[in-house]
Amino acid sequence: MKVRFVLPAAFAVLAGFATQANAGPVMDKIKAEDSLVCLVNTNSPGFSVPDSQGVYQGFNTDFCRMTAAAILGDAKKADIRGIGFSDSMKTIVAEGADMASRSITRTGTRDANPGMRFVVTTYYDGQGFMIPKKLGVNHASELNGATVCAEEGSTTLLNIADWFGDRNIEYRVENIADKSARLQAFFAGKCDVLASDRTALSSDRLLADNPGDFAILPEVISNEPLTLLSRPDDAFETAIYWAFQVMLNAEAMGVTSENIDGIMADLANQPKGVQRLFGQDSAAGEMAQQIGLPADWSYQIIKQVGNYGEVYDRHLGPNTSFDMARTATANALSQDGGLLYPDPIR
Amino acid sequence: MEQTIRAQTTLPPKIGFAEKWRRRLFGNLRDGILTMILIAAVLGLGSVAINWLVINAVAPWSTADLCREATGACWPFLVEKHRLILFGTYPWEQQWRPFMASLILLIGVGVSMVPHWQDKRLIWVWLGLAVTFTVLMRGGVGGLEYVQPERWNGLPVLLMLAIFGLVFAFPLGLFLALARHQDKLPALRAIAVLWIELVRGVPMIMVLFLGLFVLPLMMPDDIKLNPLITTMIALVIFHSAYFAESIRGGLQTVPLGQYEAADSQGLSWFQKTRLIILPQALRIAMPGILNTVLGAYKDTSLVVIIGIHDIMATAKMSFSDPVWQRYGLEAYLFVGGWFLATCWCLSSYSRWLERRTS
Repeated sequence: MKVRFVLPAAFAVLAGFATQANAGPVMDKIKAEDSLVCLVNTNSPGFSVPDSQGVYQGFNTDFCRMTAAAILGDAKKADIRGIGFSDSMKTIVAEGADMASRSITRTGTRDANPGMRFVVTTYYDGQGFMIPKKLGVNHASELNGATVCAEEGSTTLLNIADWFGDRNIEYRVENIADKSARLQAFFAGKCDVLASDRTALSSDRLLADNPGDFAILPEVISNEPLTLLSRPDDAFETAIYWAFQVMLNAEAMGVTSENIDGIMADLANQPKGVQRLFGQDSAAGEMAQQIGLPADWSYQIIKQVGNYGEVYDRHLGPNTSFDMARTATANALSQDGGLLYPDPIR
Repeated sequence: MEQTIRAQTTLPPKIGFAEKWRRRLFGNLRDGILTMILIAAVLGLGSVAINWLVINAVAPWSTADLCREATGACWPFLVEKHRLILFGTYPWEQQWRPFMASLILLIGVGVSMVPHWQDKRLIWVWLGLAVTFTVLMRGGVGGLEYVQPERWNGLPVLLMLAIFGLVFAFPLGLFLALARHQDKLPALRAIAVLWIELVRGVPMIMVLFLGLFVLPLMMPDDIKLNPLITTMIALVIFHSAYFAESIRGGLQTVPLGQYEAADSQGLSWFQKTRLIILPQALRIAMPGILNTVLGAYKDTSLVVIIGIHDIMATAKMSFSDPVWQRYGLEAYLFVGGWFLATCWCLSSYSRWLERRTS
């Protein structure tokens, strides 16, 4: 009995010291300014686009809100800034922003930069192909002799060259820099295949007069782990990483922004995992003390932003114009065969 | 008798209105065929346009749900998105500020176009406008909330870059033209020649990139330049060269006798230039100057390439919203309408000015 009381107390004291020692300058700055600067793309349908009121909305922006809800207790305190040509990674390294949620692919050379940290992958994308159904092709390997429309000067072209080259498939490239012109050319039949990231293809398909006439081939020819980027700061990185794990755990346990208030009202009768996730005197509360977050951080994330599945469905799921299936893709939870593996909160 | 004959030969034979047009349009077989083809083309294109713009379009006051089925324009789209196109991501409740800021700039331009008021006072008007514009947009003083430049989008950015760019480029261009036109100070003349020819020899995009990337490198470390300011400096450098050449064209038309007459009056160089030479040169150069102004105004939208979101970029944002992505044409028509209206005002002003001076 005694030990059970002493240990948490000792932890609390230690945690106090630990917070003092570890809370990095970024975390301190965010708390002092009561605002978190988060960079997003200015124009990326489904991921971040300003709504009619000029407020950025989309899958990526919700991870800015998640972090603000966890650290500051209010998702609206995320200062979401669109950043155009000037590279978001350079801005992070120059300390012009705290984090970026901008569909940035984590690569080895980028991660080697000491001025920034890749924290956690929120979306697994990859390059794919779209074809008109009347072409009668089911696999990319059957594309011998095809004309491919792709964006000029992009990594898309390099990936195509690698993939087709490895398989000795003949192809011809139609380089078109402007997106609308490229889509027009594809829909009008000037090229057989449109190559791009699969999320982009899904939204492009909807622009056809009859989206049903076009299909996206199953092959994914590149890995694009789209990852949250932050300024280097232990406490801040830990907060982002575990805020994301809370969203994954909540989905795995069926906790949503809709039902969380009912669950909190009856927390004592919930499964142990849910109690650890939201109880202030359990694992979540302990973490809050050690990282320096408000005691109800996990509740605020789910209440204000939702679990991962809710965020996905809100912006990319079957009820949106993207209608991107999640089952059996990399972006499903690990229990459903995907790559999103909720780390245990205990 | 003689009188009547003269009257008969000088007056054209009297024909009716219908007859006159019949002869003009269907005078012979070739004219008739051409007329028919043109009428068919105008009717065809016109009916397509009317169908799309009005008959098959969804009226602005209807709900947007009807747009899915309609084959014409979706006007509810512009009702929904016009503020995003005009002011972008500027905080919604504060959007009266970019509205006022744009309005005072337009009024400033209107005032500067009145010939009677074109004198030294305009310098103070424009300095005052620059300060008021910045205070309104940026805030942080007088109880106005601070708004970071990343959130300045749309119309005020276009107007700011185009108008201030041109207003500051004009005096610089004037100085360059005078420097190049004289031969007493050869070093100054060489610098002016180098400046003008270098800038005119490269595309505007390159000058913009120089402004965005190279200019900050030349600054001391503790000065962080706002990208809008560096872009404006780049635009001023660019437009000044074109102004200089337009003005120099005017300077060269002033006859040598005017210079000699001014010298014989004992006028200083400054008096001579200001009182005798420039009034004549600028009048001649005016069409060229206004031509530069029109071109520069429209080229301002190129700044989207360096990540600055003027009205063209916000128009693109408006139809990137997944729910509204089919209505790009409506968005571009809105922006096109704005440019057409403003450019038409500028070119009518230039025609009016020419009639007035000739």
